[in-house]
Amino acid sequence: MIRLECDKRFRELIDRSFVEEVSEGERQLIHDHIRDCDGCKRYVELTARTIRGLREFTFTSEPDSNAQVREILAHHTGTMRQHNVQFKIWAAFAVALSMSFVGSALVYQMAKRLAVPMHFDTAQVQAGVLVFWLLPSFCSALCLLAAPRENGGIA
Amino acid sequence: MTLNTTAETETAKIARGLRERDMELLADLVERCQHRLVRYLLYLIGRRDHAEDLAQETWVRVLQRGSQYNGRQRFDPWLFAIARNLAIDYLRKKRKAVQTVSLPNDRDAMLLLPSSGPSPFEAAARSEDAIRLAGQLQTLSPLYREALLLRFQEDLSLSEIAQVLGAPVTTVTSRIYRGLAALRSVFEEGGDSPGV
Repeated sequence: MIRLECDKRFRELIDRSFVEEVSEGERQLIHDHIRDCDGCKRYVELTARTIRGLREFTFTSEPDSNAQVREILAHHTGTMRQHNVQFKIWAAFAVALSMSFVGSALVYQMAKRLAVPMHFDTAQVQAGVLVFWLLPSFCSALCLLAAPRENGGIA
Repeated sequence: MTLNTTAETETAKIARGLRERDMELLADLVERCQHRLVRYLLYLIGRRDHAEDLAQETWVRVLQRGSQYNGRQRFDPWLFAIARNLAIDYLRKKRKAVQTVSLPNDRDAMLLLPSSGPSPFEAAARSEDAIRLAGQLQTLSPLYREALLLRFQEDLSLSEIAQVLGAPVTTVTSRIYRGLAALRSVFEEGGDSPGV
């Protein structure tokens, strides 16, 4: 066992010099001390030896370990991209659908005002908005879902 | 200064690549870090086969959460932190029945559980001194083992280790000193035979 004849704080300074940054002055202090103190000199040597020993472990990887990981990552990337595209398509469809209804409501209001001087009745205006605005815009929104995925669709 | 700029550029490049899920970059990272990742997990859980599985899982997590890496710190501590969380979750699943009430940190407590199976350290020891340390490493708490590995094999700074462990720097230094003391005792008790 190492004799604990030196101040505990000095041993802590030695430990610190191996683990953290110490000042040049502190380093010199250790250097000067261990010239005269065999106990601390041995403590320094054993600590250095322990750290050197720790660096002498070599864990060999499985030969195909990296290739396996790359393969798994490639698979996951593909799946995630596919999910991402699907999400974007559904999001775009939802936006297009809501815009289609909002747009139809606005067009309907505008058409109702124009219908009075042009002597159209409400049913005719409703039919016109349905045929010439709501249905085409709804169909356009549906087209987003049918867009070919390989080309990225709208994504 | 030049080195700092290079390091910043490197981490920023990694952050961008992870955001864009750049497969080429990921393959490069795997090439550079896989071996060290397995080694780290091995130090944590003490089982080779599980370490390899967890390393794969870690990379999948990197792919999924790549956008969370900000590129301001080095990549390695971020990677090790992910691996550590997975290792702890893995141990938690495996050993649900163990009492952890008396321990201050529930997540760290999982690492205090003894690992079973043959020692991978003896197989990895490449010198006489390393062989002597291997036995002690196997019995040493994984909390100390990982701190020693991150400091002396990965050469991470104390603040980087604190980032990986999610613990204060004082805790990190304390673990390193205690770990060193435990390992040093192997040579203190074992006489003066010089290391190879």
